[in-house]
Amino acid sequence: MASTQPVPDGIVPVATELLTRFRRLLGDDGVLAAADELIVYECDGYVVEKKAPDVVLFPTATEQVAEIVRTCNEFDVPFVPRGAGTSLAGGCLPVGGGVMISLTRMKSILEVNLQDRYAVVQPGLVNLHLTRHLAGTGFHYAPDPSSQGACTIGGNVATNSGGPHTLKYGVTVNHVLALEVVLPDGQVVELGGPAEGLAGYDLVGLFVGSEGTFGICTEVTVRLTRNPDAYRTLLGIFETVGDATQAISQIIAAGIVPAALEMMDQGIIEAVEAAYGFGFPLDAAAVVLIEVDGLEVAVDDEAERIIRLCQEQGAREVRRAETEQQRALLWKCRKQAFGAIGRLSPSYCTQDGVVPRTKLPEILEFITDAGKRHGVRIVNVFHAGDGNIHPILLFDERDEEQIARVFRASDEILGKCIDLGGSVTGEHGIGVEKLEFMERMFTEDDLEVMASVRMAFNPRGSCSPGKMLPTAGACGMEHIERSHPGKQAAS
Amino acid sequence: MNEERKSTPDETGELVPATISELGRLLAANAKGDRRPVLPIGGRTSLGFGFPADPASVEVTTSRLDRVVDYPARDMTVTVEAGCRVALIQESLKLEGQRLPVDVPLAHRATIGGAIASDAGGPRRFGYGTLRDYVIGIGCVTVDGRRFKAGGRVVKNVAGYDLCKLMVGSGGSLAVVTEVTLKLKPLPTSSAMGWACFDSGDTVGDLLGDLATSRARPVAIELLGPKAGRQLAAESRQELPAGPLLLGVAVEGNPVEVEWQAGVLDRELRAGGAADVTWVRDGDTAKLWSSLTDYQLGGESPVTIRACLKPSRTVDFVVAAIDAGVAVQAHAGNGVVYGHLPDDTIDAQTAAEVIEPLRDLAVEGGGQLVVERCELGWHNALSMWGSARADWSLMTAVKRQFDPEGLLSPGRGIEAALQQLALGGVDQ
Ligand SMILES: Cc1cc2nc3c(=O)[nH]c(=O)nc-3n(C[C@H](O)[C@H](O)[C@H](O)COP(=O)(O)OP(=O)(O)OC[C@H]3O[C@@H](n4cnc5c(N)ncnc54)[C@H](O)[C@@H]3O)c2cc1C
Repeated sequence: MASTQPVPDGIVPVATELLTRFRRLLGDDGVLAAADELIVYECDGYVVEKKAPDVVLFPTATEQVAEIVRTCNEFDVPFVPRGAGTSLAGGCLPVGGGVMISLTRMKSILEVNLQDRYAVVQPGLVNLHLTRHLAGTGFHYAPDPSSQGACTIGGNVATNSGGPHTLKYGVTVNHVLALEVVLPDGQVVELGGPAEGLAGYDLVGLFVGSEGTFGICTEVTVRLTRNPDAYRTLLGIFETVGDATQAISQIIAAGIVPAALEMMDQGIIEAVEAAYGFGFPLDAAAVVLIEVDGLEVAVDDEAERIIRLCQEQGAREVRRAETEQQRALLWKCRKQAFGAIGRLSPSYCTQDGVVPRTKLPEILEFITDAGKRHGVRIVNVFHAGDGNIHPILLFDERDEEQIARVFRASDEILGKCIDLGGSVTGEHGIGVEKLEFMERMFTEDDLEVMASVRMAFNPRGSCSPGKMLPTAGACGMEHIERSHPGKQAAS
Repeated sequence: MNEERKSTPDETGELVPATISELGRLLAANAKGDRRPVLPIGGRTSLGFGFPADPASVEVTTSRLDRVVDYPARDMTVTVEAGCRVALIQESLKLEGQRLPVDVPLAHRATIGGAIASDAGGPRRFGYGTLRDYVIGIGCVTVDGRRFKAGGRVVKNVAGYDLCKLMVGSGGSLAVVTEVTLKLKPLPTSSAMGWACFDSGDTVGDLLGDLATSRARPVAIELLGPKAGRQLAAESRQELPAGPLLLGVAVEGNPVEVEWQAGVLDRELRAGGAADVTWVRDGDTAKLWSSLTDYQLGGESPVTIRACLKPSRTVDFVVAAIDAGVAVQAHAGNGVVYGHLPDDTIDAQTAAEVIEPLRDLAVEGGGQLVVERCELGWHNALSMWGSARADWSLMTAVKRQFDPEGLLSPGRGIEAALQQLALGGVDQ
């Protein structure tokens, strides 16, 4: 049904028999089907497009996930996995309706093996909970998205998440050894293994970042990383955004790879300062949070080199976090910056472009101009060391005309990222939000090859239809409109 | 054996396209015309790996695709064509104080495309990871001549499926790699390697356990058996300690970091039972690095095996392999072990008797053992990849999407491994 014809909103199209089967499998407690309860699941962190699923399921074991998938196939209903729903690209949007499989009750840590430096976890485990669990062992799980207090390891795997410290340590895919996956046909398969260097294709690497379109990940073996021997955390304060971005380029060009290199501009500093009271200077145009880590015998030297480079680029001041509390607060300000945006505007949307790092000054200037041209207020907080920008466009969701301007400004910014040799997404993913850009980044042949790879995993297109590839899906959603992709997809 | 096939293009019909477009046209013409099997060729350093290629294959050589396309040093990325020799790439990176921190065997001959196809790596995988961690963009040509790309030129990018990962280690069986963009690292200004001998596996096992939490951060931890140790010393012309088990630890960084870490490791090795530690420093380490990397290939040995297993199981495996007469080299921090069977391994049956018990150990240790290379004619008598792993059928599904008729590198890779199993395993 849903796979042949889009179902109009408001009707609950999941057959009673199907619901009965799900209740028998999961208990009443594991099935949400009442319209008022489903509202919560109508969108993720990308709030512009909304569409509630027909039912939300909460399995607690791999075998249940497999049975759900087989049942969906039997009834020809599409399904989409969901972690914490912090996706900023509409990855969880149930395009074409159907079943949402929430992994949040599968959240155990199954094994920690420090000797072999890995941990096996369930996909619904919150990223930060793994870090907390490892405290005191001398090891940690390196990918640390700013949303780590909420987002799940399964969601991180699906989106190949990054974070401030991925500048030095790499993104999620560099830290995943093996996956247990329920394939879209209901088979359970183990990709990779705890040993590295297995012969054959790197299906683990391929699955990571597939945004839920290759199946549902039900277990993850992650690599654990040694904690650094020592670190130093600095805050560079700049009079202009240009000075700050030049300093960042200089640091990278000098062959220094800090553990993290994050920038916040005046707009976001104002909100963050009001929320957390760190003591940021409100008149500075930008601050850069820099962390170096390594051996105790080397970090001071590296910190000094960075301070000098910042000063050469006209930094007003470079402060050091003198205590562990100061460092923690500084990181809290950075990682929870998004939480402070509510002080600036009722709604916002974040773009996630990437440019070669030497092009940062250029893209930031362009962002400022785009904001002016379209009358949209834009603030910036981002992973500068990677060239991964996050312009935050502020708007009021109730004002259609404002939304249109936000879309136009976003579109131009991402187009500019492509022109500068970059990408439209560094970590948030394509989801439904950026589908239209795929044709601008890739040729028809590129996309065809990608589609054919998906065929190997998801031949019926029933798993997360309408995501990642513009021609995706078996739900009659092929003709997604350029101006408002998600809206179209969700309607 | 592959050296012999390196005859002139005319005789063998070998294709040597000068541009990527030409390569695309040649493959398209083949797909529309004769539909001959195609064997992509880089520097011919790993052609002997795995199953032998179909002799009817037309060879497509990337040697003329050797341009550096773009090297924006300040972005710390480089884009090169697949036929570039790895050592030449490293030389241009060195001028900017940068490098690709992956050890590639026979780097003077190996092309970057070939290194990617065979997932080449070496001792420093402990400190820096493997090629999959550095390939951020890739361009390829399919067996029917279509060009496609994935990834890009920026260090962080999640647009589209990560086909870069898929191509690393694909053994030339999915598409011909034509262009890659690599992420780079700063070149360290100093390095040191400490070598020590041990009598017992238990001592080494305990020491490796302790090294895992050392305040020093070694970039390589190598464990060699006596034969491998002797050969390495001879090859690199270094005086290395000789004994039943030879352990090497290496550090890199600036001189202060290296000096400090060498001091820490020296104390730790001695506390762990080493009577003496021989240190090799800076320029003198170069030859050791390349010898350690090339040693993996196995030279004249009749059979080379590669096992991967959990790092904590490595020492037991190494000891068992030494007892079986195998020359062993382990990247002990990673659980990746190379073994070369002795010259007096007279036939496949004798080889299998050595290999199979070791394979059991590798599988018990959470991994796998593959025969990387063997004498011609032994391939069907040896189980090359062992029993099927859970994800192999999915791998063949991927292979079929790229190459439904099996024209690319036929007889090699996953399909061959599965076929061997389907045919009732090995015909011993
Ligand atoms: C304030 C804020 C800050 C953020 N900061 C960062 C950041 O620094 N770096 C970064 O990379 N991202 C960031 N994000 C984006 C988001 O948090 C990440 O994409 C995160 O990985 C999503 O995890 P989740 O559990 O919320 O997944 P969800 O949002 O629930 O799902 C994301 C995608 O993964 C799929 N999926 C979920 N679970 C599974 C599974 N088990 N198997 C298969 N597919 C699955 C879904 O279908 C969907 O396509 C941020 C988001 C917010 C709101």
